[in-house]
Amino acid sequence: MAHFKSASHTLKAMAGVLFMLTGCASTGVVHQQGEKNKSDPYEHINRKIYTFNDHVDNYIAEPIANVYRKITPQFMQTGVFNFYNNLKNVNVVFNDVLQGKFEQSAKDTGRLAINSSLGLLGIVDVAKRVGLEQNDEDFDQTLAVWGVPTGPYLVLPFLGPITARGIPGAVFDTAANPSSYVGAPVQLLSLLNTRANAEGSLKFIDEAALDPYLFTRESFLQWRYSLATDGLSLKKR
Amino acid sequence: MRLSLLKTLCLVLGLLSTGAAYSAEASTAKQVVETFQTELIDVMKQGKSLGYAGRYQKLYEAVTKSHDLNKIVRIVVGKEWEKLTETQQQTLIDTFSKFSVASYAHNFKEYAGESFVFDSEEQTARGGIVIHARLKIPDEKDVKFDYMLKEKGDSWQIINVIANGVSDLALKQTEYSNILQQQGFDALIAKINEKIDNYSKL
Repeated sequence: MAHFKSASHTLKAMAGVLFMLTGCASTGVVHQQGEKNKSDPYEHINRKIYTFNDHVDNYIAEPIANVYRKITPQFMQTGVFNFYNNLKNVNVVFNDVLQGKFEQSAKDTGRLAINSSLGLLGIVDVAKRVGLEQNDEDFDQTLAVWGVPTGPYLVLPFLGPITARGIPGAVFDTAANPSSYVGAPVQLLSLLNTRANAEGSLKFIDEAALDPYLFTRESFLQWRYSLATDGLSLKKR
Repeated sequence: MRLSLLKTLCLVLGLLSTGAAYSAEASTAKQVVETFQTELIDVMKQGKSLGYAGRYQKLYEAVTKSHDLNKIVRIVVGKEWEKLTETQQQTLIDTFSKFSVASYAHNFKEYAGESFVFDSEEQTARGGIVIHARLKIPDEKDVKFDYMLKEKGDSWQIINVIANGVSDLALKQTEYSNILQQQGFDALIAKINEKIDNYSKL
């Protein structure tokens, strides 16, 4: 199953967790700057930070996440994921409204209410079983809907890929997420669980990419664009 | 992709051999995609018993018949194509084809109740067809798969697969043209071969 998930061409990779982290575990990539890409004017420095993040991941994040995965039963990992995912829905509802998606915001509010109560504070994703799928909305997408341009692609130390527009988006989303206010140990657990869940995606990139930096950049930008346009970008291809 | 014609098709087509499935005359774009998906699921179900070599063998015909690999390669390398000799062009097509099949054979090795379902079909402005489908994975969010096809002869062939908004063709285009420009043809082939080799060992 894990293999299949990774098979689906960056499925989970595009699901978000991947790009919140350090990039990927590349193997002997030749770091060269190609023909200047309009969306990546700082490729030279971005590649250096990417390599740095890669080392941080290889030597620190991955070993810790591996231990976490080994000692934590799958149901607990799922529960931790569901818990934080449920808190994120506060943010999703906010952004639904800011984007004028009122019907979706009602559904997402229902999702949050059901999982926070029947789902034992979000640990169990009850809402999914009654047909309320998780939506993915954030302030970067809201800014896109409001017409703010993407800006250049950036790789931030420790945090990974983002765009210039994504920075204020991330600040707003962090402020609007209740888990930001519960203390460092809880956030650390969230980060650990996120990294552990991203293992399959990172492995997929490592196996498939001829140049992991470019692979990550292109898939990140496409994935963000697809989210911002709710998948309508396909029609332009 | 949710109107699951596919499950029925899986049952029917699953009884046919690969050759028989492809022996039909003209295929619609939807048929091409669904036949390919059926074969993928079939290989996944037999994944363990087939082993990597068995999966590769079974998928070789499925991939090469349903995908226009020549066209994909030309799009992927873009303007660099004209700079290659005929021998290099053929080497690139052969290596790329092996890589595509190897990737499927490596990644689609297990089955845990997944299924493809058809959503809709639309014409593109340039005369192509997009088949919108979804992969259903038990206890997971569905994954959107959009297949772009172009007519070739009396049938249709896949030229791009877009998963959750991420285009496989665009990803490869960026990587391949960059490597060709910066490091040259031999380096590109060596990198692809290294990946194929890794897939067979993992």
